[in-house]
Order: sequence, then C-alpha cells, then structure tokens
Amino acid sequence: MTRRWGMVIDLDKCTGCGACNIACAQENNLPIFKDDSDVPKRVTFLDLIEVTNDKDPKAQYPDVKVAYIPKMCQQCSGNDPNNPHPPCVSVCPVVATDVGEDGVVSQIWSRCIGCRYCQVACPYEARVFHWWKPRYEGSFKESLNPDVSIASRGTMVKCTFCSHIWKRERDKAIAQGITDINAVTYTPACASACPTNAILFGDLNDPSSPVYEPKIQKDPRAVRLVHSIDELRTKDPSEYEKRTKIKEYPNPKVYYLTSQQWLRDKISGFKNS
Amino acid sequence: MSKVIDFLKNEWNSYPRNIQISLYVLFALVALFVIFAIQILFWGLGYTDMNNRFAMGIWIIGDLGFVALGGGAFFTGFMLYIFRVDKLQPLINSTVLIGFMCYLFTFILLVFDIGQPLRAWFGYAYPNWGPHTMPQSMLTEVVWCLTFYFIVLCIELFPIILSNKYLDRYPAVHYFAHYLHKLMWIFAAIGTFLSFFHQGSLGGGMWGVLYAKPYWFRHHYFYLAIVAAIAGGPCLMMLAPKIASWVAKKELVPKDAYMTLAQIAGVTFIAYFLFRVYDLYTLAKHFAPLFDRNLVDMMGGYYGWWVVGLELLASLVAIVILNVKKFRENEQYFIAGLISGVLAIVMLKVDVLLHGFSIPNFPWQDFFGYNPTIQEWFIFLGSLACMTLIYMWFVKYIPLFPEKHHEEAH
Repeated sequence: MTRRWGMVIDLDKCTGCGACNIACAQENNLPIFKDDSDVPKRVTFLDLIEVTNDKDPKAQYPDVKVAYIPKMCQQCSGNDPNNPHPPCVSVCPVVATDVGEDGVVSQIWSRCIGCRYCQVACPYEARVFHWWKPRYEGSFKESLNPDVSIASRGTMVKCTFCSHIWKRERDKAIAQGITDINAVTYTPACASACPTNAILFGDLNDPSSPVYEPKIQKDPRAVRLVHSIDELRTKDPSEYEKRTKIKEYPNPKVYYLTSQQWLRDKISGFKNS
Repeated sequence: MSKVIDFLKNEWNSYPRNIQISLYVLFALVALFVIFAIQILFWGLGYTDMNNRFAMGIWIIGDLGFVALGGGAFFTGFMLYIFRVDKLQPLINSTVLIGFMCYLFTFILLVFDIGQPLRAWFGYAYPNWGPHTMPQSMLTEVVWCLTFYFIVLCIELFPIILSNKYLDRYPAVHYFAHYLHKLMWIFAAIGTFLSFFHQGSLGGGMWGVLYAKPYWFRHHYFYLAIVAAIAGGPCLMMLAPKIASWVAKKELVPKDAYMTLAQIAGVTFIAYFLFRVYDLYTLAKHFAPLFDRNLVDMMGGYYGWWVVGLELLASLVAIVILNVKKFRENEQYFIAGLISGVLAIVMLKVDVLLHGFSIPNFPWQDFFGYNPTIQEWFIFLGSLACMTLIYMWFVKYIPLFPEKHHEEAH
C-alpha cells in the first residue's frame, strides 16, 4: 500500500508550549540568529500562531479566548490526491521542488535558485527563505543533525514532514531484509515532541492509522486551514463540483480539530471570520 | 593617454551646464548602484525589506514594468515591418534601443532578486518543462522566451550600432548592416511571436496560474498583460524621444511619426481599459467568490483602491488625449497623455505586486506594508540612470534618429 502521509492537530489539546517548534528547528538544522525577533525573515518550518477572538464584537471580557495554531507546510495535493498538484510545485522554474508518491512536497536546497516563486504561490506562508547566511550560535553547531543538509543563503526551505526520518526507518528495515518501502511508518519531530499528544501523524489511507482520512473528515471538529470549500462538500455538493471544475483547491493533508466554533470559523477562512 | 584625457575634457566642457549637472546626478546614481550591488550580491537579500510574507519587491515591479513598456519595441516593429506603417520609420531605432535596455535591465534586476545568482543558469540547464511540450512553470517560459527575444533585440540593435559614422566608413560593415537591416522584417516577426508569450507569461500568466491566491488567480490575466504592453509600450517609445528632443532643443522625430503611433496607442488603450474593467468585474463577481473572498475587503490596506483608481484615471486621460486630434496635436497635452499612458501600465504592475503581496492570507492577519531599503531603491534608480546614460550616449554618437542625421548631413 502506498503511503499518503498526513497530520491531525487537536487544538483543544494544544497548550501552545512551543515544544513542536523547537523540536522541528533542532531536527531540521534551522539556523539560530542572535536576534530572531525579525519574525518575517525568521527561518522556521513550524510556526506557532496565537489567535484570539478579540476583534469579535460579541466577545467581551472575560470571554475573550486565545488559541495556538501550529502551522507547518500543509502538504497540499490539489483536487485529485491520486495525481497531486500542489500550488507550489508546478511553478518552480528549475524543478527544485516536487511531490512524491507519499504526497510529501519536497525541496532540494542545492537545486533552488532562490527565485521565491513557490513562496508566492503558497497560500499558507509555509515556505521560508534564507535571507541571511545560516548561522549556529555557540555549541549549537555541535548538535547539527547529519541527516539533514544545511541550506545555503538565498535558497528556499520548507517542512517535509521530516521525511528523512522515514528514510532512516526504511534503511533500518532494509538492514533487516524488509525491502518494501511502505512497510514502515515513522513520526516527525514535532509529533514526537508534543507533550499532550495534540499532533498525530500517520497514513491518511490506512484504516488502522489515527489519521485515517475518511474518519477524520466525518469528525465534526475537523477543519482545514483557509479551506472554506470543505463546507460545500456536504452542504451543497453541486456547487462544490462546479467550483472544483473551475479551479484547483489546495486540499491540504493537515487537519485541525477543535470544538470551539469561533476558532473553527477563523481557521476555515474568511467567509465566517 | 593624454589625448584621451584631453578628448574627454573637451567633450565634458562642450556640454551645457544643465546637462553637466544631470550627468553628475546620473553618475552618482550609477556609483551607488555599483556599491549596493556588491553588498547585495556578496551578503545577500537580508538587506532588503522583502521577507517571507512580501517575497518580491521593487525590483520585480521594475521588471514587470520594463518588460511591459519595452513591449513597445515589438509592437512598433510589428506595425512597421509587417503592417508596413512606414511613417513609424523615424521612431524605430530609438524604439529598438529602449526595448533592448528594458530587457537587459530586466535580466540584471532578476539576477539581484534571486537568492543564488550563480545558479541563474539552472533555468536553462534544468528547466521545468513538465510532461508536455509547453513549459510547466510560467517562470521557465519567462526565462527562455525573454532570452530568445533579447537575442532578437541584440540582432535588431546591431545594424543601428554599425551605422555609426566611423564604422560605416568600412564597406564590409556598411553592406553587412545594410543587408541585416533588409532582413529586419523576419526578426520583427520572430520578436512579435516571442513577445506575445513572455508579455503574457511574465505580466499576467505568472500570477494568473496561482490557483491558491485570490487576488491573482484569473484565466484571462495572460491576455490582459499582452494588451497592457501593446497599449503602454508605445507611450514610452514616444515619450523617450520627446524628452530627448526637449533636452536637445530640437525636434528629433517628425510629428507625423508621433501622431501615427499615438493614434494606434489611443485605440489599443481603449481596448486595454475595457479589458481591465472586465477584469475587475470578473475578479469581484467570479474569481474572488471562488475563494469565499470579497473584492471590496481585498482592496483595503495601503495600496488598494487608490492604486487601481490612479491606474484607471491615467488610462482614461491617455485615451482622451491620444484619441482626440485637438489634444493629441497640442504639445503639452500630448506629453501629458504619454506620461499618463506609461503611468497606467506602471500602476497596473504596482497593483499586481505591491497590493497583491499586501493582502492577508489568514483571517487573523492585517494588510502588510513594504518599504524598500536604500539598497533596493538605489539598485532600481541606478538601473534607470544606466538606461538614461546609454540612451544619451546613443543619441549623441549613433544615428538613433535617421531623419535628424539626414537633415544634418545636408
């Protein structure tokens, strides 16, 4: 069975501790600068976004609520998951980014010319550019991960669901004589680090996986980031059909779960927010 | 060596005071261009105000503007060599030179803009050609098509350079330039063919294919960019010789040539204006709702309505002046019409990029702002200064305006 990796993030369980962000940076050799307060230029694959309902006129103190959204590459697949067409892949002029059979959007740092067209195409601001030469302060250099190559200045980088860990697991399996590349599963750094188990990772096609897609789609708490067309799938299938014929939709493989309506409205897009 | 210094001294002293001051300013801008270019190329794009939210800035706005306005070169060549509008002959040399410079500096600004300039050749070595005959990435098409058209412009410029009076004395050079000139209709046709592709892809297609971006995604954007280049390009092609005539204090191009091209530009501007209104209408009624977005909400922020408003207003001014004979033939109105035409196309590009990037992607975000750093400003202004200096040099030493040289010879 071909794997199709996906993620489910339970925002009701997320405390906003930031362990996922740190684990991601450590695992993927993300640079650490003396001053990382320049947020728009910061190199991070997993952004922890704080959202509140304070602009909602109905939300009066003490009912103002706060939530944290861990946002990484949503590994879009386009309308047809069997023939994935993420918005960022086809635009690359030098084939530095591709989408694999497992649905993960990869990025080859050493092929990238740094034109940033993929960053322009990405609706989730998931791609980050090395505006400065990557630096590692103090002893951080000694803890670099040998499985991940360090990108040069002027190249685009992104979350790949830590696919190097899957490769590592596959190598271990091959050493044991298991040659089926889909035989093993793995857990990305962010999911491993989450202390409340809010981030679940697995195969969207595997019924035994905690992120089995047909099951998640039926969950009333499930919502995808800025993807309001999902509502139409059940409410107005003909309109859904019509729209998907006119254009592709990102169709991300990351689902968020929350029982808070204000947060669901905010995440789903601009329609209800 | 002393002869060269004496020549340069005499040359400099022969210029009027106001030209000398202008040259000081232009040389200063070029010097700053060089300084900041070194900084950007060696230390990276961190010195710009671009960031992960605002991925492209003033240089790409410049690129889009240069290519659209430089498009006047292919269109004028097409009208002259294919449609045989012979009245445009006095404008063609200047037009080819402006087109050449616009494309040259598009490449130069692109080199600054990419994070890995030393890997720029990857665009040719590893193009994203995709599974079909057409390139999969619009940027691949832009890179290849711009390159081919730039080669065509170099060939078109070659006989103009060879017509310099010192070079023209050699019979071999003279006949080579003469016969190359005779073949120019072929290059004009190739140039038009190529221009239709890259004008559409860089100006519109590149943005229109971004299916996840509500302000850019439009099926017809490719064609809008072509019409914009055809409408706005000729305005720059007339404005530059007009300014040169004003500086030289004599008319370099016969009025007939201006009026003929102005009439053509006037009609194409009507087509552009109607197309743009249709574009905004479909964006509001058809494309934005596909994303559950509202055009009125998207047009807020720092660069929303006023940019589009200014663009439409400038288009209307250009339409009125270039189409009404009374206004067109009045010198001041005519120049105002040309400036409006150029402004309209520049504002279209400002709208595409500056406003396009400022629109929030998430409901919890506000509109974004972009404030180019001095590095960005001076590399951009330095490019304009280089173009101005090259144009001035050509006006002085190369028969850019054959009519004027012909008159002077007699």
